[in-house]
Amino acid sequence: MLKIVKIIKIVLIASLLFNLSFAETKPKKEENLNIYEKECIPCHKYFPASLERMFMTYLKVYSGELTLKASLKAFLKRPDIELSVMSDMFLENFSVKEKSKLSNKELDEAINIYWDLYNVRNKLK
Amino acid sequence: MLSTFYYTSQENLMFAEQRTQLSIYANDHVKHLKSLHHYFPNRDKYPRSDEYKSAIYDIERIKIFSTLENNHVNFDKEIYRVGSKIHFVKYLNDYYLGATYLFIEIDEDRQWHIDTILRIMGFGTIGLLILAIFGHFFVRLFLKPMKASVDLLDNFIKDTTHELNTPISAILANVEMMDRTKMLEKNIKRIDRINIAAKTISHLYQDLTFLSLGHNRTSNDEWIDIKALIIDRVEYFSVLSNSKHITCNLDLENSKLFIDPVKIARVIDNLISNAIKYNRRKGTIKIVLRENYFSIKDTGIGMKSNEINAIFERYSRFNSTEGGFGIGLNIVKSIADEYNIHIVASSTLGEGTEFKVNFPKGNSNAKNS
Repeated sequence: MLKIVKIIKIVLIASLLFNLSFAETKPKKEENLNIYEKECIPCHKYFPASLERMFMTYLKVYSGELTLKASLKAFLKRPDIELSVMSDMFLENFSVKEKSKLSNKELDEAINIYWDLYNVRNKLK
Repeated sequence: MLSTFYYTSQENLMFAEQRTQLSIYANDHVKHLKSLHHYFPNRDKYPRSDEYKSAIYDIERIKIFSTLENNHVNFDKEIYRVGSKIHFVKYLNDYYLGATYLFIEIDEDRQWHIDTILRIMGFGTIGLLILAIFGHFFVRLFLKPMKASVDLLDNFIKDTTHELNTPISAILANVEMMDRTKMLEKNIKRIDRINIAAKTISHLYQDLTFLSLGHNRTSNDEWIDIKALIIDRVEYFSVLSNSKHITCNLDLENSKLFIDPVKIARVIDNLISNAIKYNRRKGTIKIVLRENYFSIKDTGIGMKSNEINAIFERYSRFNSTEGGFGIGLNIVKSIADEYNIHIVASSTLGEGTEFKVNFPKGNSNAKNS
């Protein structure tokens, strides 16, 4: 029985390592990554809710560009479960993120990239 | 103001009728937005309808997407007209695709506008007519006492002048009939004074009746022998001129004028009367008659150049030493204007005044002969 459990663990670890090694066919070099790719994606890629769906949730709650950016920045600097736009189920499983260590400038830069990447304007047909 | 109120109320009524349908369109559109929000970006086609156009704006009133034909949107009104379109604004609670404001646009049915304008014009015309009738009635009611006063005064003047005529005529007729050869010298002088006084009153009476009644009488124009008329009027005023020892020099040629005899008599009487009244004692009056004009010149006190311009104004008198109402020359002017007669007055202070009466072309004897 213990052998079977060990085999399963080995298979799981092996498959995880295999998946991670093929996650990006052409991975960017560390120095070419922007602040958003460097500081946000690495953690978020493990969450079931993608950054894009999170953006749509933010958009549904805050509507405008300035409002969304200001609210997101305030939340990242001082995360609060009451201010989170995520569902209760998500918060139960993953809780609230830790306080960001990025500077104001870095946060602004990362949020601007995030907005430009997912905002719906000019994408509707 | 009433029509504006009616138009606004009709517009609100039209909006109320449209609001239900527009709300249905808006709710339907929100469902499509919700679906698109959920599937974005896999689905990115903005929902469209054949029945309406739409647009979505974010909370900062920045346009997200629009299919509106008229993009002049108003965020402060729920429903409004813009051009030939009606816009309905719905405020969203969930900002699907970031939309806070949803605008629904439909074509406006202009029939209500035409009907309303026609009704306003119809009722407005009827209202104005009713107001005009009431206004006419009330004006007549309010003016009645004033008109009665004016009529009373008018009748008083007419009656008075009529009653004056009989005794003056009686005095003048009886003075003329008196046999002066059997009178003493002092009585002849007294009779002459009575004659002068009666003729002065008669002259004044003629002016007053012309002013009060002359406007209502129709002109009976005919060819008048001006030479004979001037001789007759000079003879008539001879008692007055003799009393001031004034000599009348007549230089008259034949001339005829197509005019009302009463009116031309008023012109000549007033000019001769003034020439006597404002002449000095032992002065002269020179009357010249030619084919196209006559002139009367006295050797009286004369007038200043600035006074000449005002002599034809009613009640203007420049010498208070003589009696009169100052209406004589005003009558002359009104008659002259009626017949296009041009009167030129010239005067030198201390030397005398001359009035030259130029006959209008076509009315003088040049045509008649």
